[in-house]
Amino acid sequence: MPLWFVRGLRRGVVTTRYPGRPDSSAADLPTPPVFRPEALTRDLADRLCMTCPSWALIRTGDVLIFDAGACTACGRCREVAPEAVTASGEFELATTDPAHLVKRIPLLGEGAS
Amino acid sequence: MKLPDTGGTEGSPPGPSTDETAEELRRSVARQFGRSLHIRTLDTGSCAACEQEIRLLAAPHYDLHRLGFFFTPAPRHADLLMVTGPMIRAFDIAARKTYEAMPGPKLVVATGACALGGVYQPDAFTHGTVGETLPGDVLIPGCPPSPLALLQGLLVAVDRLAAKVQDLSFIQNGGAR
Repeated sequence: MPLWFVRGLRRGVVTTRYPGRPDSSAADLPTPPVFRPEALTRDLADRLCMTCPSWALIRTGDVLIFDAGACTACGRCREVAPEAVTASGEFELATTDPAHLVKRIPLLGEGAS
Repeated sequence: MKLPDTGGTEGSPPGPSTDETAEELRRSVARQFGRSLHIRTLDTGSCAACEQEIRLLAAPHYDLHRLGFFFTPAPRHADLLMVTGPMIRAFDIAARKTYEAMPGPKLVVATGACALGGVYQPDAFTHGTVGETLPGDVLIPGCPPSPLALLQGLLVAVDRLAAKVQDLSFIQNGGAR
């Protein structure tokens, strides 16, 4: 007998309380990255853009444009630059305005400009 | 055999029916539409990961029905079109026909990174984004979006639909057309 079935019977309720209450499984979800502008340089931004497999990152001058809608949360940018990129932990990203999903990150790292 | 008590865990109130937020949302949907809200899914060339997550919404853990949402196979019964995939060009006519078959007010929910312009670039075979063919009213990022993210997207969609319902003249006129 599967363990989840026994556990479900013992605990009674298996249904999540989301959205009324946070769900514990949310902490394990892959989430889009957040960037530290102070650690980003032009070179690093270019490397991140080349690494991204889904065209979610584009550099324009001294600004890194991140499209969270196109991001697949694969984590490759975090592997390239763990000092500059971390997981956001945000999964509630649904919106009615596409502009809300596009972030403009200034490159403030040493020698960025 | 005596069934176990259906009380919640860690001191939470017993039974899913006591979840006030879910109940309030269900009532809100029923108040706005006079019934529950029905979803039609449309796969326009996705890898089926999004469909797998969407299917999980009906599983006991997420139990979409407690919120007043239901899936329907017929676009004529649907209020909400949940579109996945990068919208391949071969699907243009079918997608438009599906959208036109839906009664108003209706919404299109672009689901997943493919539908939002990631993963596939526009080429001879695909538009690369749902917005090229259908109006993307609500956007749910993720590859694939988790069922929790889909739930949040549906909540955003309900607010948007509620606004559309208010815009309809026969609602404003107390039901008179």
